[in-house]
Amino acid sequence: MSLINFSVKNLWPFLITIFLLILLAPIFFVLISLFGEYNENWSHLYNYVLSKYLLNSFFLILGVSILSIILGVGSAWLITNYDFVNKAWLEWAVILPLAVPPYILAYTFTGLFDSYGTANEIIRIIFDTKDNYIFFPNVRNIYGAIIVFSFTLYPYIYLTTRMAFLNQSRSLMEAGTLMGLNSWSLFYKLAIPLIRPALIAGLALVIMETISDFGAVEHFAVQTFTTGIFRTWFGMYDLNTAMQLSSLLLIFIAFFVVLERTERNKMSYTYSNSTFRKTDSKKLKGLKSICAFLFCFTPLFVGFILPIIELTNWAIFFPSENFFSENVIYSFFNTIWLGISAGIICTMFALFINFLKRFDEDFFLNSSSQLLALGYALPGLVLAVGIIQFFSFLDDYFIRYFLKISLVGSLIGLIIAYTIKAYALANNTIESGFKRISSSIDDASLSLKGSKFSIFYRIHMPLLKTSILTSLLLVISEVIKELPATLILRPFNFDTLAVSTYIYASEERMYEAASPAMLIVLVGLIPIFFLSRIIRDSRPGNL
Amino acid sequence: MMKEALNVKNLSFEFKKDNEILTDISFNLAEGEILGILGPSGIGKSSLLRLIAGLEKPKSGEISHYDQILSGRNTFVLPHKRGIGLVLQEKVLFPHLNSLENVKFGVKGNKAKKDAQAKKYLKLLKAEEFSQSYPNSLSGGEQQRVAIARALAPEPKTVLLDEPFSSLDTNLREELRNDAKALFKKTNTSCIIVTHELEEARVFCDRIFRLEKGSIKLVTI
Repeated sequence: MSLINFSVKNLWPFLITIFLLILLAPIFFVLISLFGEYNENWSHLYNYVLSKYLLNSFFLILGVSILSIILGVGSAWLITNYDFVNKAWLEWAVILPLAVPPYILAYTFTGLFDSYGTANEIIRIIFDTKDNYIFFPNVRNIYGAIIVFSFTLYPYIYLTTRMAFLNQSRSLMEAGTLMGLNSWSLFYKLAIPLIRPALIAGLALVIMETISDFGAVEHFAVQTFTTGIFRTWFGMYDLNTAMQLSSLLLIFIAFFVVLERTERNKMSYTYSNSTFRKTDSKKLKGLKSICAFLFCFTPLFVGFILPIIELTNWAIFFPSENFFSENVIYSFFNTIWLGISAGIICTMFALFINFLKRFDEDFFLNSSSQLLALGYALPGLVLAVGIIQFFSFLDDYFIRYFLKISLVGSLIGLIIAYTIKAYALANNTIESGFKRISSSIDDASLSLKGSKFSIFYRIHMPLLKTSILTSLLLVISEVIKELPATLILRPFNFDTLAVSTYIYASEERMYEAASPAMLIVLVGLIPIFFLSRIIRDSRPGNL
Repeated sequence: MMKEALNVKNLSFEFKKDNEILTDISFNLAEGEILGILGPSGIGKSSLLRLIAGLEKPKSGEISHYDQILSGRNTFVLPHKRGIGLVLQEKVLFPHLNSLENVKFGVKGNKAKKDAQAKKYLKLLKAEEFSQSYPNSLSGGEQQRVAIARALAPEPKTVLLDEPFSSLDTNLREELRNDAKALFKKTNTSCIIVTHELEEARVFCDRIFRLEKGSIKLVTI
């Protein structure tokens, strides 16, 4: 027994260091490019395109931020403080748009609102107008992109601000009322300042997702950093300049990661447990109740119901590529296989690190875990660029000499990218699972059975069954949605659901894109199920 | 003369550097004796038990059990090899195992021996009727009965009790205390109990120590 303890104790820093180095190497290769040579492509980008990327990205972020705040905070405030028609199911249903990746909403939007899309066709039939009558404006522009991102990402703001609103004590609101504040003043003078950290934390997530996206902006032909990186690499065949652009994006993202972390740490000031009195919901009647319902229902309709209707329409009525076609089944199994592999790696590593942390509050262990958990913020495209460069380096200097194979174009790169992106999901789930097991249980086990391995196997594993399953499912759902890294790192002719959807949509074969897109949305509902449980359990007054 | 079960000599302990919780503590425990340790919250009573159980390492000093050094300058015996049982204040039954499986957990030997040993101690603690029940369906008192049975089933020579009755109501506490004391005396098991109630210590213990900042003093009962 003591031999096991001894070997594990000496082995873990080594294993974690190796794992860390593999995961950090791609980022290192991207960042180091900033100090490399700047060629004529960079000068071209700098002189003619970079300002456009910056302006478009800025305008996109601004638009998405404003619209997401209105939708997210508005829904959270109404659902927390008022009783209105259909509130019971809206409370959890408003987060359903999170299951729809922005690129899928972008595809369905163009299918719906293009000149000869479903929506304009319906208008023409209803009002019996001319064949060339166009009611809905063109959505393939930055305004369309703002709508798509806002209606799929606002649930991040809804989730963080709703928890903050739930945690606001009624005593605070009563104090405001006594000072003469009306409902509106209570909202913007008291409630909003109190939830500011939660709002910024949610907004930072929205912004990070927006600037990391590739599929939606590419489909709407909006030139941003990510489309720029893609074009520089595959249009100009210049990986070095693509990496230099990626480093700028990475620095930009790092700012929002720090902001999100800082504000999340401040979130505790929004309530005090000792004086907590839960806020009562005020009943709305008549028109007010309908207006509140419509306000919360509209983003759900646009961000979830509408794309589902359109995808179902395409998949059922134009079944050229249905769920059972060879290509969809092939892509589905490829995706699931990759998802399960990444899920097992992330979950096992999260189990390993959190188990060690339980017995040893080691600085190296803690900082490694925190560093790994930041991977979720890395844009898939930047990761892909870094991994390709890292693998080229390994291939050129090591692998080809010994193994006569190439890492570039192998599935290993994809697995590494998914592990970096999804480790935070596994870590959060396993960490909270471990926190629910009292440390006294470990003490009791240690006094009865000495080996930590035995405690892990006989006590922790059975108690963590649900957390392990949750972690696997969350990682799989993340892998299924991931597009840019998959598109670039996949081996030749290796399709996943996201890649199939992208390829069909980029060729305007929307009907064929419907089945893989529907499968992505269905699997994306898994984390929503867990999130809805968190919402249900989040009110401290209910504890 | 009674045989010495446990000897604690010049024991010091700190959680963090320069933050000493226990300083130069010395005492002994005779075989079959029940020793009470009293003291205010945060003084280090539970830390003392954790040191004896082997869940913490001392800064200096020595702990020996039946003349075997458990913690010393160059010695540290792992918790499960010390022959010392531990019962904690919190409910620490393994929630995924039933009462019988919980009690069997620390018993060594084949399946038949484990079963027999576990059933024996469940019976001695009057807990056999809920041997198939899971912890979430047991009351606080029933859980503590199973926890004591689990600590005793590997037949340790010494048992450490960290405020084991504090979460129980008065009647239940008295009943379980009497049953536990009778069992310790019957099996000649030495015991150290940590409590903050002098009355409980008077009824339960043969000797009582008061732990004060930096020292340990005998209380007359």
